[in-house]
Amino acid sequence: MLVVNNLHAGYGMSEVLMGTSLTVKKGTLVTLIGPNGAGKTTTMRTISGGLKPSKGEIILDGKPVQGLEPSKIAYLGLAHSPEGRKVFGPLSVEDNLLLGAYTRLPRFFGFRTKAAPDLDKVYALFPRLRERRKQASGTLSGGEQQMLAIGRALMANPKLVLLDEPSMGLAPVIVDEVFDIIWELKKSGITLLLVEQSAKRALEVADYAYVMERGRIAVEGVPAELEKNEKVVAAYLGS
Amino acid sequence: MDQAVIIQMVVSGALMGLVYALVAYGFQLTFATSKSINFGQGELVMVSAFFSLTLTDLGLPYYLMIPGGLLFGVIAGLFVERAGVRLALEQKSEGWILMTIIIGLFGFSAAENIWGRDDRPFPTPIPSEPIQLFGISITWLEVSVAVGVFMIMAIIELFKRKTLLGKAFEAVSADRDAAELMGISATRTIMLSYGLSGLVAALAGILISPITTVGPTMASVLVLKAFSVAVVAGLESGFGVVLVGLFLGSLESLTSYYVGSGWREAPGLVLLILSLAIRPTGIFGKAVIRKV
Repeated sequence: MLVVNNLHAGYGMSEVLMGTSLTVKKGTLVTLIGPNGAGKTTTMRTISGGLKPSKGEIILDGKPVQGLEPSKIAYLGLAHSPEGRKVFGPLSVEDNLLLGAYTRLPRFFGFRTKAAPDLDKVYALFPRLRERRKQASGTLSGGEQQMLAIGRALMANPKLVLLDEPSMGLAPVIVDEVFDIIWELKKSGITLLLVEQSAKRALEVADYAYVMERGRIAVEGVPAELEKNEKVVAAYLGS
Repeated sequence: MDQAVIIQMVVSGALMGLVYALVAYGFQLTFATSKSINFGQGELVMVSAFFSLTLTDLGLPYYLMIPGGLLFGVIAGLFVERAGVRLALEQKSEGWILMTIIIGLFGFSAAENIWGRDDRPFPTPIPSEPIQLFGISITWLEVSVAVGVFMIMAIIELFKRKTLLGKAFEAVSADRDAAELMGISATRTIMLSYGLSGLVAALAGILISPITTVGPTMASVLVLKAFSVAVVAGLESGFGVVLVGLFLGSLESLTSYYVGSGWREAPGLVLLILSLAIRPTGIFGKAVIRKV
């Protein structure tokens, strides 16, 4: 579904990604872990088009997408729930979700009717969003905003979802809830690329994992193998 | 007797204030999507008015001239965005300020050369004889200004609130990067907002011209007032510019009646300075908290 090959990208003169390569197969959950500053979020941003790679290729569902505008890549079936959630604060919860399906909806009238089945699906997954659907999303709690950011990504009916740091800044109880959702998504067969700080949680749910260090993939493998790798255990899984 | 005069003053001033509000609304439209405004908006009003006048001179009936004039405004707005704003925004520079001023100056000189420096009357089929309404004398022409302003603002506000494209507008304004991830092209949204802003400016020109006549300097004072209104009301609330516009318009006409017509321009500037000193975000604006 997604092949990233020898990706180089950065901000201005400083190169953050120095030859990152990874593959996400259809219907699998792949996780990208590693220390702060390794380039995980930069990888995600480059895949979804927010950063232009200086070298390398990104193949989404057979089509090269490197260098395209993010809005074009979204039309090709990529949904990105960004780090820091980035909900549209002044807009209501429901409007946020509707905009998640922007690529598939009519622009002027009848978009509500057309989006209704997908809205119901998302609300079934996140009942609290239904309760708050008229509320301005900026007034939601951090956990609720995270649910909204995930729900908004799902509204696109995407081929691939990028989830960047869904547990960042959340209380432990809420992190549990977020991971319950990620398990649900995995069961439903959605293709996911997950970036996570809490490596342990991520490895539990993932089918395959990449460990990133200083802009490159340092180690990769199925989680069971990585958990045996002493270096990985020492660095990320600790105690 | 005196009370009747005051009411009369307030009403006719308020109608003028609605035009300030409409031009200020044009600032809001582009500011919402791109945090930029067209500093040549006054020239856009004027050039659109001249263009509409030419359409009339060519024999086009009034009600056919209006869509023509509005279309011209849209095209001019798109031109400003493409030529003066887009590159600057892509470079994250403030160059659009200078660029839009320059395009405005260019429009001004072009208008002087094409249409001349003299003020010209703008023919209209709407009668300008005063009628009595609840003891106030008012002309149909003035009524048409109010109707036009409210109609266009209502249509645009409905578009913003009820259509998905309108919500996309607000999404770009709230978080441009996140909006791009949804498939919303920020560039196109900004283009559209400049087109709408041009439309609003052209309408302001068409509505006001029969009252003020058309000339190269017709909008230079108008746009100054619109700035005051936009700053005092804040750059977010369409409702806010209408209220502040009505207030400023009536205050101006009362000032010129009681203090002297030379003081007419004072209230706008005083309000502007007061607002910047006391509440820089505007009465209806929200404080922007920037995380660093």
